[in-house]
Amino acid sequence: MIKPRFDELIHAPTRLAIVSLLAASEWAEFKFVRDSVGLSDSALSKQLTTLEEAGYVEIRKGFVGKRPRTSAKLTSVGRAAFEQHVVALQEIVSKAGASVLPR
Amino acid sequence: MSEQVRPDEAAKALAQIRDRQEQVINVTVVPVWYWWAVGALMVGFAAAVDTRRPAVVGVGIGVFVIGILACTGWVVRRALQVQVRGGLLGAGGILLILGFVAVVVGASLAVAFSLQAAGVPGPALAGNAFGAACLVVGGPLLMGALRRIMLANRTGGTR
Repeated sequence: MIKPRFDELIHAPTRLAIVSLLAASEWAEFKFVRDSVGLSDSALSKQLTTLEEAGYVEIRKGFVGKRPRTSAKLTSVGRAAFEQHVVALQEIVSKAGASVLPR
Repeated sequence: MSEQVRPDEAAKALAQIRDRQEQVINVTVVPVWYWWAVGALMVGFAAAVDTRRPAVVGVGIGVFVIGILACTGWVVRRALQVQVRGGLLGAGGILLILGFVAVVVGASLAVAFSLQAAGVPGPALAGNAFGAACLVVGGPLLMGALRRIMLANRTGGTR
């Protein structure tokens, strides 16, 4: 059973979007995350660095042929924090009853 | 901080989490056109081979190989943007994929050999046409089932 823990770092809207994408994937290309969330390269880099510093995200830089390719993945620490955050959110909603469930 | 988050805000955050994970899952779903394209290439290839004319067979093989490489390359390239988490598909999803392949191949061969035994002309073409029909009908159904499995297995589960 996952213990609920509200995570302020993850809850920020942009980071929540990034971490949610990464939670469904083993790894994701920088370009995919950028286009999915609708951020500029620099804005995404900044958010990924914040998550990386917290130990939530691992960033890999490599080459496919001569083209540089950057990808990101959620670390086990990041995945655990995300799952605990989701449980915390579910707890807040369930305490309030069904009236606030999203459509 | 969690005390400051209103229930409706938490509900919206959960909805966003599900939507973002659905974005990843949707990238891995093979589009409907792919099944039609592969089906058409299979039938075209079998029809070309059945003519037994070297020039037609050569063109048929070329079109088939280039077509399969182009279609599959497009799908793979799209899927390489993000690798979906293995746990989302689960053992049930993998069994479904293997079962689908086994049914399509097995049924196509059964049709072809049955027609050959009955002396019907063009059994290979008929077998391939049957296999193509299975792909066109079954491919999107398979993708729908896999998508539902992955959506149910994502963090936060189904809505």
